[in-house]
Amino acid sequence: MKKQPWLRMLALLMALAMAAAACGGSSDDDDDAAPGTTAASDDGGDDGGEEPAGDPEPTVGFDGTTIKLGVLTPTSGPAAIIGNPLTKGNEVYFEALNAAGGVAGKYQVELVVRDTAYTEATAIQEYNATKGDVVMYTQILGTAIIKAVLSQMVQDDIVAAPATLDADWILEENLVPIGGPYQIQVINGLDWYVNEDGGEGSKVCMLAQDDPYGDAGEQGVDHAASELDFEKGPRVDFSVGTQDFTTQINQLQSSDCDAVVLVATPADAAGALGRAAQAGFTPRWLVVSPGYLKLLWAGELAPYVTEHAVVLSEGAEWGDTSVPGMAQMVADLEEYGDGQEPDPYFAFGYNQARAVHQLLEKAVELGDLSREGIKRALAEVGTLTFEGLMGEYEYGSGPADRNPPRTSTMFVFDPESPTGQRPITESFASPAAESFDFGN
Amino acid sequence: MTALALGAIRSDAWFETLFSGVALGAKYALVALGFVVVFKATGVINFAQASFVVVGGYLCFNAANTWGWNFYLALLFAMVGGALLGLILEFLILRRMAGEAPFTLIMVTIGILFVIDNIVTAIWGPDYHDLADPWGLKTWQWGDVDIAQADVWTIGITGVVLVAFFLMFKFSTLGLAMRASALDQEAALAQGIAPKRVYQVAWACAGVVGAVAGAMLASGTGSLRPDMGLIALIAFPAMILGGLESPGGAVLGGLIIGLVQQFTALLAPEYLAWIGGGFDRVSPYFVMVLILLVRPTGLFGQKEVRRV
Amino acid sequence: MAVSSLLPSARRHPGGRPHHKLDLDGTRDLKLLKGPWAKGFAVALAVAYFVIPGSLEETTLRTLCYCGLYAIGAIGLNLLTGFTGQISLGHAAFFGGGAYCAAYFGDKHGWPFPAYVLAAIVVGLAVGGAIGPFAARLRGNYLAVVTIGLLFVAYHLFMNWDSVTGGGNGVGVANADISVGPLDFRDLELGGLKYTFVQGMFWLIWAFVAITALLAKNIVRSRPGRAMQAIRDRDLSAEIIGVKPTRYKVAAFAVAGACASVAGVFYALMQNHVSPHEFGGQVGLFLSITFVAMIIMGGVGTIFGSILGALLVEYGTRFINQRGADAPILGIPVDQGWLTVGELNRILFGLLIIFFLVLEPRGLAALWMRIRIWFQSWPFSY
Repeated sequence: MKKQPWLRMLALLMALAMAAAACGGSSDDDDDAAPGTTAASDDGGDDGGEEPAGDPEPTVGFDGTTIKLGVLTPTSGPAAIIGNPLTKGNEVYFEALNAAGGVAGKYQVELVVRDTAYTEATAIQEYNATKGDVVMYTQILGTAIIKAVLSQMVQDDIVAAPATLDADWILEENLVPIGGPYQIQVINGLDWYVNEDGGEGSKVCMLAQDDPYGDAGEQGVDHAASELDFEKGPRVDFSVGTQDFTTQINQLQSSDCDAVVLVATPADAAGALGRAAQAGFTPRWLVVSPGYLKLLWAGELAPYVTEHAVVLSEGAEWGDTSVPGMAQMVADLEEYGDGQEPDPYFAFGYNQARAVHQLLEKAVELGDLSREGIKRALAEVGTLTFEGLMGEYEYGSGPADRNPPRTSTMFVFDPESPTGQRPITESFASPAAESFDFGN
Repeated sequence: MTALALGAIRSDAWFETLFSGVALGAKYALVALGFVVVFKATGVINFAQASFVVVGGYLCFNAANTWGWNFYLALLFAMVGGALLGLILEFLILRRMAGEAPFTLIMVTIGILFVIDNIVTAIWGPDYHDLADPWGLKTWQWGDVDIAQADVWTIGITGVVLVAFFLMFKFSTLGLAMRASALDQEAALAQGIAPKRVYQVAWACAGVVGAVAGAMLASGTGSLRPDMGLIALIAFPAMILGGLESPGGAVLGGLIIGLVQQFTALLAPEYLAWIGGGFDRVSPYFVMVLILLVRPTGLFGQKEVRRV
Repeated sequence: MAVSSLLPSARRHPGGRPHHKLDLDGTRDLKLLKGPWAKGFAVALAVAYFVIPGSLEETTLRTLCYCGLYAIGAIGLNLLTGFTGQISLGHAAFFGGGAYCAAYFGDKHGWPFPAYVLAAIVVGLAVGGAIGPFAARLRGNYLAVVTIGLLFVAYHLFMNWDSVTGGGNGVGVANADISVGPLDFRDLELGGLKYTFVQGMFWLIWAFVAITALLAKNIVRSRPGRAMQAIRDRDLSAEIIGVKPTRYKVAAFAVAGACASVAGVFYALMQNHVSPHEFGGQVGLFLSITFVAMIIMGGVGTIFGSILGALLVEYGTRFINQRGADAPILGIPVDQGWLTVGELNRILFGLLIIFFLVLEPRGLAALWMRIRIWFQSWPFSY
C-alpha cells in the first residue's frame, strides 16, 4: 500500500485541533461557551431577617432595571384560542403594573413570549432558547407541555407558573400553580348538583378525554361519590379531535345517566353537547372549565346549553364590582387590552400574572432575583391572594404545605353576560372539596 | 322501535351508528373523490386536497356569516372559490411538474398544503367558528331514533355531487376527454385532446369537491376549525382501499371507512377493551392494510402493467 | 494540437497526462476521498469538529446538535428513498421508537449507553424489516399511504403501552447514562477541563453522524448500493438481471429504521423527555415530512446531501424562530399583527419545498455539484 503522507498531516492537524478544543472547556463550573449562565451572586440575600436586604444584584434575566419573564404559549395552532387571551391577561397585568412603577415601584417587567404551537418538541426548544434570558416563566400552557419541560426545569432550577389546573403541580417545587384544580371543580359541582339541583340518589356518568386530564376529573368524581349521595355511572372516553360523538352519546343514553361530568376541550365539548342536543339526550351537564368557549356555545347550541349545562369554574361574573379586584381588571383590560374581549382565560392569565408579581415582590424584598432567590421567595411568600377574583392559595414553605383553594362557582351560559358566563351560585367550598387530599 | 338490547347496546344505537357512519363516510367520500379525480387525470396524489377542504369551509363561512349571504349561495361561492384555487395551483406549480417522479409530486403538494393552511389561519385567525348552516342541531325523529338533519343533507348533497360527477365523466365530452387522457395520454393527444385542458378541469373539480367537503364537515355539530384539513389523513385509506383510479372506489372506500370508524367507536370499548383507547383512529389504516394485502391496488384499482 | 498541451503540466508530461478524473479500472470510483480537494475538506471537517464546541455559543451549539441527530435520520431515509426509491412517510415512527428505547432501557432500566443504543438499533432493524414485505407488494403512492398508517399505529402503541411508554404523560430521560468507556458525555471532563452537556453531546452526536455517513457511503459505493440504485431506477429490469428486490427493499427499510432509531435516542437525550404526541398522528406526519424535506433540499440520493439538508432545515427553522420573536410581523391575532412566527415558519417551509422541487429537484448537493463542475471544467464550463 502506498504511503500516504497526507495521513500524517491529518494526524498533526487533529492533534492541534484537539488542543484548540481544550479552549472550549473550563476549569471550574463556569463555562465561557454559554454566556447566558452567569453565577448567581449572593450579596444581599443572606440576611433575611434582621436588616433590610439590599437591592437585588443583576442576574439572569435581570439587568438591574428590567425583569424579564418568559411565556411559553401556543400563539398558533388549535390551542391558540386559549393561549392568546391567556397571554393577553399576563401582558395587560404587567403593563398596568409597569405604568404604576413596576415591581417594588422600581423594576419594569418585560415579557418574552414564544410560540410553542402546543407541541412538546417546540416547547422544549423554546424553553432552552429563552431560559438564559429570563428570571422565571410567568406562563407555560398545556399539561403535556409542562410535563415535558419539567425535568429540564428542575435541572436548571427554574420556576414557572403553569396555565392548567392539574393537581400534579401542587407537588412540584418548581411550579407556581394557581386556582382550584379540576378535581375540586368536579367535587364542588357534584355537591351543588346533589344538594341544590335535585341530584340526590341519581346516576352520574362521565364523558372524558382519554388522558390524564380525564383522569383528573375521574378522581374528583370518585372522591365525591364517597362523600355524597349519588351513584357513579360509567366513564365514556373519547380522544381529542373526535369528529362524531354519536357512539359516545349513545353509550351514555344506554346507561340512563341523570348527570354527566364533561371533561373536554372546547371543540370536543361543543361537538359532544351538539350531538346530545340532536339525540334529545338531556342530562344535567357538569362541564369542567376548559370545555367552555363562548364562540362555540353562542350559536345553535345556546338554547340547549342554557338549559342543561353548568360550567364548573371559579371567581365571579365579569364586571361584578362587589369583588375588590374586578374594577381594576376591567379597567386594565379597557386601557391596555387592545381590543381583547372579556374572556375567562384572560382573567386566568391576569391572575396568574398577579401571582407571579407577588412572588417577585417577595424576591425583591429578600434582595435576590437569581434562581435561588426565586426559590426562596416561593418558600416564603406565604399565601397568594387575588383580591377576590380567585381563591387564595396557601404556599407554606414547600410542596408539602401547599393548600390550593377549595372554592368554585357554578356558571350558566348567558349571552348577555360579558364573558357569556353568569354565576348561579356564590363562590363556595363544599365539605367534600375541603376533605380532598392531594397527597402532599 | 322498542329499545332492544343487543349485547349491552340498544337497537336504536345500532341504527344511529349506522346512519352516522354513512354520513361520516359521505364526508370522507367527498374528500377521497377529490384525490381520485386529480390522480386519475394527472397521476399526482394531491396532498393539498386538504387545503381545498379548509379553504372551502372558510369561504363558505365568510360568505354566510361575515357577509350574511344565503347559505346555499355561500356554498356555491365556496365551490367557485375552490375551483379557482385549483386552477391557480395547476397553473402556477403543477404544470411545471408534469412527468416528475411520484415522490417529487407528493412533496410539492405537501409544500402547497403548508402554505395554504397557514395563510388561512393568518387571514381568519385560529379561532373556532360555528358555520351558520340552516340545519344546525335539528333532528328528525323516527320512533326512538334521532337522525340529524345535517347528516341527511350531507348525504344528500354528497350524493348529488357524486352523481353529477359520474354523469359528467360518463357522458360529457370533457369527461370523455379526461378518461381518454387517463388511459393513454399520447393517444389522447393524437386525438386532439389537450392535456392542459384536462389538468385544468381535474384540478378545478378537485377544488369544488374539496370545498363542498369542507362546508359539510363544518356543518351540524362540527365546527369550522383551522385543522379541518386533517380529515384528509383519514380519507387516504378510503381512497387507497377503493383504488386510486376509481371514483366509485373512492366513494365505497369512504363509506367503508366511515362505518368502520363509527362501529369501532361503538364496539371497541365493549369487546376490545384491551386494545386501548382511541383505536377508532387507527382502524381506517388497519382496514386499509388488510385490504391491500389481498388486493395491492385496492378494491377497484387498475392493475398496473409494467413494462421493462 | 490539443489545448492540453499548452497547460503547465504538459511540459512535465510531454505527450499529455491523463486527466486526473480518468478512471480506467474503477478504483477511483471506490475511493472514499477522491482527489486532493476532498481530502482537504475532510481535514477541515475534522478540525472543525474539535474546535466548534469551544467557539460557538450554547444556543447555536444546541441547534447544531439537533441538526446532527436529524442528519443521522436523514441519512437513513436517503438510503431508503434516495437510493432504493421507496417512499416512506413513516420515518417518525422509528424515530419515536428509538426515543422510547432510550427512555425505557436507558432511564428506566439503567442500561449503559452502548447497550441501549444497540437496543434501539435492533428495534429499528426489526420493525423496519417487518415493514419491508409491504414494500415488496406495494409501489409508489400506495406505499406512501401505508407508511402514514404506521404513524397512527405507532401513536396508538405509544399512548396505550403504559408500562413501557408511560402513556400520554410521556417519560423522562434525565437519568439515562451517556458514557462511552471512561468518557461521560453528560458531564464531560477531560484533562481537568469541564465541558457542558451541550458541548459533550455535540461531540457524541457528530461522531455518530460521521460513523453513520461512513457506513452509508460504504453501502452505497459497493455492491448493495448499486443493487439498490438498480431497484430505484427500474426494478423489473433489476429483477431480471438477478437483483432480488424484496431482499434489498426489506434491508433498506431495516437500515433506515435503525438510523432513525439512533437519531431518536439522541433526540430523547437532548429533549430530556419523550412524549407520544411528538411522534404520532399528524405531528408525526409533520416530522416525517420534515425528514423528507431534508433529503430533498439536501440532495436525494447523496449522503452528504442528507447532512446539508438537515443543517438547512433545522437551522433555518430555529433561526426564524429566534429572529421571528423580534420581528415586527410577529403578532397575536387579536387585531394585533397578522402572522405568527409558527405560521411564518411553516409557510416558508412549504415555499422552500416547492421552490427546491421546481427549480432544483436534486437539492443542494446537486447545486454544489453544478458549481464544482463549473469550476472544474473551466474554461469550458457552459
